[in-house]
Amino acid sequence: MRKYVVIYRAVFIENLQYTANIVMGFIAYLILSVVFLNLWGYMYDAPGELIAGYTKEQMIWYVMITEMIWFGARSSTVREQVAADIRGGNIAYLINKPYCYPFYILAKYTGEWNIQLSMYAGLTAVVGCMMVGALPNFHWSTLAAVVPCIVLGMTIHAVFKICISMLSFWIEDAKPFQWLYDKLILVVGTIFPVEIFSAAVQPVLKLTPIYTVCYGPAKLIVDFSVEKYLEILLAQVLYLAFGSVILLWIYERGGRKLYVNGG
Amino acid sequence: MKVIEAEDLSKNFRVKRKEKGMRGSIRSIFHPETEEICAVDSVSFGVEEGEILAFIGPNGAGKSTTIKMLTGILYPDSGHVEVLGIDPVRKRRQLAYQIGTVFGQKEQLWTHLTPYDNFRFFGAIYDLDNDAAESRIAELAEIFELGAFINTPVRNLSLGQRIRCEIVASLIHRPKVLFLDEPTIGLDPVVKENIRVLIKQMNRELHTTIFLTSHDIGDIEKLCKRIVIVNAGQIVLDDSMEHLKYHYLNKKIVEVKLQEEALWPPMEGITILKKKGGNIKFEVDTAILKINDVLRGINAEHIQDINISNIPLENIIMEIYRTEGRADRL
Repeated sequence: MRKYVVIYRAVFIENLQYTANIVMGFIAYLILSVVFLNLWGYMYDAPGELIAGYTKEQMIWYVMITEMIWFGARSSTVREQVAADIRGGNIAYLINKPYCYPFYILAKYTGEWNIQLSMYAGLTAVVGCMMVGALPNFHWSTLAAVVPCIVLGMTIHAVFKICISMLSFWIEDAKPFQWLYDKLILVVGTIFPVEIFSAAVQPVLKLTPIYTVCYGPAKLIVDFSVEKYLEILLAQVLYLAFGSVILLWIYERGGRKLYVNGG
Repeated sequence: MKVIEAEDLSKNFRVKRKEKGMRGSIRSIFHPETEEICAVDSVSFGVEEGEILAFIGPNGAGKSTTIKMLTGILYPDSGHVEVLGIDPVRKRRQLAYQIGTVFGQKEQLWTHLTPYDNFRFFGAIYDLDNDAAESRIAELAEIFELGAFINTPVRNLSLGQRIRCEIVASLIHRPKVLFLDEPTIGLDPVVKENIRVLIKQMNRELHTTIFLTSHDIGDIEKLCKRIVIVNAGQIVLDDSMEHLKYHYLNKKIVEVKLQEEALWPPMEGITILKKKGGNIKFEVDTAILKINDVLRGINAEHIQDINISNIPLENIIMEIYRTEGRADRL
């Protein structure tokens, strides 16, 4: 475990040098926030009105938190580097060390998102309070309870992204699958909460990573309940276990297919 | 004691084939064609503990594929391999603690970190505790003379400094076997020589077995006592450096400066390579003609200057590359 902490630490230090790049990404976040602030402002006719069980403030905060997770989770390591390592043969120089390559990537990714998400969290708090006002019924203890859910959600997201990237062991380009996954998370989990969709679709959505990556943590922050918290936590643990098994299976099978260019 | 044992090791790759142009590209979507390439074909060899072995061959000969099978990166299609008694395929991670690898064309160091931080990083990767890592870094920093730049970020180091650090990073966990894949590529002659001295010193003082691949004849000549040449996936020569150098082609190069009027006696076993006035350069096949017979054939009074040398190792190796498949002759 210590070695993964060391990898995490090295990446964390490296990424501290790129905080200016992260700040540049704030522009896209702010544009999206303004768009959704106006959109939901238009959708809600009267103060106190509920849509899918959310007040206007809760809905906007929900979108801003899921956006925060979406932007904080962006990573070329899990999206591109793994696929590039496999296609270009660089993986050969990474897997001959005494660590498990998927966990090496996960440690790197954690070092990246820790900085990104922290910066986006700060921005979300400031922009949210300025544009929407304080979140109704929010307690700091809620945030402390939700942090493990956010960590689990980010890890689940990475596990699935790495799984998709590792399809490069068999196919030329895994990007179309990355694109589909990203859009699914963005449209279904980020922009709209699961409750917006019809009752028939909701159980299906709860079976997808969307429920555990974006929806779960955001829902808990805007409308916390112990019952929901335990439900989401359990779903995340199960999802992470399932995703990890799939990831290691793909890696094991794919490793046998490894072709290293130039040797 | 053998630290590396490979027996009938083979590896095939399936490579896509596509006709040229747009038509070929479209056709390949509906009728993908692949071809099986034999990268390594029934290779068998062993490496003794403490040996420095040169494993060489032309591009595409199967050198890197063999190294990657020995280090557990690639799965062999058939055959058996053991490194330090460990099966690299089944126990890659266990083997990783016992071996080190340096790929001259690939960076393993983190460029934003200093060499010191990198060494601490690799120390942790190899489960060294802090005290053990510190003392090892101090020991290697002294051997490899890293003191002046050990705290400079790797991205600011020269290539020679970086390669030294790469080797140190690979040695941090005291590997018993070190795989060096073109460690001196791109280095100037002075730095190359320094690296060779350090490798030799490391082998002598730390008793590390070294498995070297290089296209640089100087590396091979100055470091290795044994040479294995592969071509088209097969071993075409496995011999001692001494035997290869002095007996393989049984040829010597003689450069002689004679008086203008001197007559050149025709002799069997001599091939003239260059002749300009009294300056003659020729090759002597010592299997047919002994060097002292050559000297007896030339009137000593006519000789102004003479130089006798071995065929350059480079030429011997090129000759072996050309005579692919003639292993039975060797």
